[in-house]
Amino acid sequence: MKKLLLISLFIVGLAFSLFNFKGLAAQGDFESIVLDFREDIPVAEVQRELNHLAQDLNLSPQLNSEFSSKDNIYIVSGDKNTLRTLKNAGLTEETEYIEPNYLYRAFKAPNDPEYSKQWNLHNINIEAAWEETKGNGITVAVIDTGVTPVPDLKQTKFVKGYDFVSDRIEAYDDNGHGTHVAGTIAQSTDNNYGVAGIAYEAKIMPLKVLSGSGGGTVADIAEAIRYAADNDADVINLSLGGAGESKIMQEAVDYAYEKGVVVIAAAGNENRNSASYPARYPHVISVSALDAANNKAPYSNFGAGVDIAAPGGSEAGKILQNTIDPENGKAVFLGFQGTSMAAPHVAGVAALIKAAGIKEPDEVLSILKESSRKVEQDPLNHYGAGQLDAGTAVKLAMQGQVSFKDFFRWLRENGYLNPRFWIDGGTIALLPKVAMVLGSYILAWFLRAYFPFAWSWSLTSGLVAGSSGLFFLRGLYIFDLPQWPFRVAGSSIPELGNAIQGTSSLNPIFASVAIPALLIVAFLGHKSWKWFAIGSSLGVASCLAVNAVIAPELWGLGDGIWARGFLVMNAVLCFALAQLASQGENKTA
Amino acid sequence: MKISGTIERKGMGPGTWALVADSGDTYELKDAPEGLRQSGLKVSVEGEIREDVMTFAMIGPVLQVSSFEAL
Repeated sequence: MKKLLLISLFIVGLAFSLFNFKGLAAQGDFESIVLDFREDIPVAEVQRELNHLAQDLNLSPQLNSEFSSKDNIYIVSGDKNTLRTLKNAGLTEETEYIEPNYLYRAFKAPNDPEYSKQWNLHNINIEAAWEETKGNGITVAVIDTGVTPVPDLKQTKFVKGYDFVSDRIEAYDDNGHGTHVAGTIAQSTDNNYGVAGIAYEAKIMPLKVLSGSGGGTVADIAEAIRYAADNDADVINLSLGGAGESKIMQEAVDYAYEKGVVVIAAAGNENRNSASYPARYPHVISVSALDAANNKAPYSNFGAGVDIAAPGGSEAGKILQNTIDPENGKAVFLGFQGTSMAAPHVAGVAALIKAAGIKEPDEVLSILKESSRKVEQDPLNHYGAGQLDAGTAVKLAMQGQVSFKDFFRWLRENGYLNPRFWIDGGTIALLPKVAMVLGSYILAWFLRAYFPFAWSWSLTSGLVAGSSGLFFLRGLYIFDLPQWPFRVAGSSIPELGNAIQGTSSLNPIFASVAIPALLIVAFLGHKSWKWFAIGSSLGVASCLAVNAVIAPELWGLGDGIWARGFLVMNAVLCFALAQLASQGENKTA
Repeated sequence: MKISGTIERKGMGPGTWALVADSGDTYELKDAPEGLRQSGLKVSVEGEIREDVMTFAMIGPVLQVSSFEAL
């Protein structure tokens, strides 16, 4: 009983340390350094060292707080160089440790000095989105009054645009509206100047269709939409509208939609029930406006056709961006309001969603809607699906996406980034195990390309169980504890047949398609265990394939061509089984 | 068509000129003539609605003025 308790405690402790491993996240910022003097040295000696720091190194050590005196914890302000100096200051004998006093913050805010005035970005939870993506690789077409490269668009990337009003390549702004809209989408951010934009690593395609006085024809706008679709724009922002339905415009919108472009438009500023054109066309995401308190802005249209609500500002709080003063063309920071300002918020977030790997316009829309903050009492449809939430949208988009970041997260969550794994793992054959894990991951990735499914906890557990088990456990030997539980926990499904005996030749019943087949038959009807079964089938496929090359020894079949053939055949069967089982899944990833 | 009302500057985006008719309807003035760019001006305007024009202000039907007289 005591042994069982010990084993349980040990496993709980190990699991705890694995899940709390911070890995790469440990590289932080610091502005001060912690010095912990030993408690068993005389106070006078600590004082002498403190004086030495003050006089010779010009530092002023302070107790961290009134509670620190007992533990002798002192703080000095300084950077990397100070840290190095301190470590070489001959304090090793007197201190327990000298380390950076890392700054902890929820998310990193950009350094743009006026960022704090952008309540709108705060309201859409943008910093959580920036943790994952800033829109790199995506092009957003701004169909508007043109865009002038004002100073706070200096770092922003542009692609070639067109001026449909004057028929020329340069599409500069002579009004101030388009530049402001472009700023909301991709203002240069973290550049120590001005304000921030939402998808600030995305590219802007400036298309001028509205004259300096703010109007333009549907023919020009329709042509601009087609131009954007033909020139690889991923998102189109239309902060414009009118009352007239137009065939040429609707066809242009459908054309862009067919090409996978997300089209977003402002709902209109008449405070009436139903969105204007083009916002009310199918395949256009229609955006109503919120004020700083997240209520409908007084001017915003609502009701029929509104898909989602985003900050547009009101007299009490406007949207601040860098643009031009229409009077003299000079760059200024101006606060504007309107559904014109709300639409580019959604366009920016759509760019982030696309950068996170979601391509189809319908999927982008469903992520925007699903991630938005629902408004309980909304009988007049002021808000559509709800209030825009960039952070949740991007997180939702990342789910079910296999990215490099994802892979690292998966490695970390499964303990493969733990230093302990590399040390203890040295006692067993490490490289084949790594190959099995990678192999199972790659197989799953292949399968996803054909049958999109969600990347879930149960699937990854299955992959690990099937391919390698928690194999670092196998190298552990603890006094007074039997070793076989570690061997079993550290074995993959194909190795279970020989784990208890501790032999190295595989049992052909376990090292085959049999167990995955049983698991799939047993769990096919269950929502999440099914994915464990599919994952383990892929894991076993990878494990058997790697074994076929490296260590094909099987009971009764030896380690020759028959054993290899048996393993390869079963690996193929496992993959086919996983493919078959995942086929019925809808595209809900 | 002939509409009488009051000229107003509407603050959508960088702003635009509007005619708020005596009926209460708001019209956006397309390329407002110099003489109409004056808030509070009471006018009678002759013009036509441009269904084929869209604007960033989106405050109502777009009215192209052919002639006007101050009241």
